[in-house]
Amino acid sequence: MVKFTDEMKEGLRVPGKGGSLVYLCTSSLDGKPNIAAMRFVATHMEDKILIADMFLLKTKMNIKENPEVTVAICHPLDEGRWWAFRGKAVDIEYGFPRDFDWYGANATDILNEWGDWNKSEPPDEVPPDIVFPKAAQRGVVVIHVEEAYSIEPGHAGEKIL
Amino acid sequence: MTIQLTERMRAWIEAMGCHLCVATPRGVPFVTLGRYASVTGDDEVAFALAQDEYAVISPALSANPWVAFGVSKQGGIRASFQFKGIGRAVTEGPLFTDIATVARDVQGIETYAVLYVKVSEIYCTKPGAEAGQRLDMLPPDEVCEWEKQRWKDIPHKKS
Repeated sequence: MVKFTDEMKEGLRVPGKGGSLVYLCTSSLDGKPNIAAMRFVATHMEDKILIADMFLLKTKMNIKENPEVTVAICHPLDEGRWWAFRGKAVDIEYGFPRDFDWYGANATDILNEWGDWNKSEPPDEVPPDIVFPKAAQRGVVVIHVEEAYSIEPGHAGEKIL
Repeated sequence: MTIQLTERMRAWIEAMGCHLCVATPRGVPFVTLGRYASVTGDDEVAFALAQDEYAVISPALSANPWVAFGVSKQGGIRASFQFKGIGRAVTEGPLFTDIATVARDVQGIETYAVLYVKVSEIYCTKPGAEAGQRLDMLPPDEVCEWEKQRWKDIPHKKS
């Protein structure tokens, strides 16, 4: 079982609170990869990464057929956040049974705290030519992290969790 | 459909490098950094990878050539695109040397393999109504115009 470091918990938050922009990498079941940047990110428990399901399309389709994902820090990298986290994801959408459990994470707890993420942590730092005009959150992607490796030059691939 | 990376796309890719994502044939994704990137054709990008960086993706890439990539650092938000295509790694010959030499001179990278990706799909990843919009289905002129209506910022390439 992995356990996030304090630095990871600091880094896996929304950029406006000192966190990071992350890339969520998924794949279709037959191996076609997909990579998309995500702003709404948080940690939960000691080994879960949460990402808002706000405008997910291919990412969502991939997760529904194949839970294997990797989350990598996109920006800022230069602060030592050379991390890539591998694990299994589910998109807990509104309509899931409220007692649904994903490796110990409870759907009710997740949706109660992060189900209206745009309201609790609005994207004030996002440039006006990028930010969306209206939030449309449909759920929360919960990633149960099983391992992490470095993407730091000279150390890429080294296990860090 | 003909693909031509726009001037702005090229600039962001080359200035920031990219996060490269591959997957095993059964769908396990792996990510590595392509710190030095060079657009080598209208629809082709080359990445200089050090040995450790290449080792992260090599097992999956050798069994499944699909590569998806997005621009690193600020490009993850400013360059709201995802590129997909078929990759092939080159470890010797002029296609290797041409890129490896510049990557060493410019960024000090000891290149082990050069990954060439022939881009066949481009998606908009700007959050909102246009998220997931496929751009490679448009003629190149229309892609340029589409982009210019939204963004004009072009970063300087690292020197």
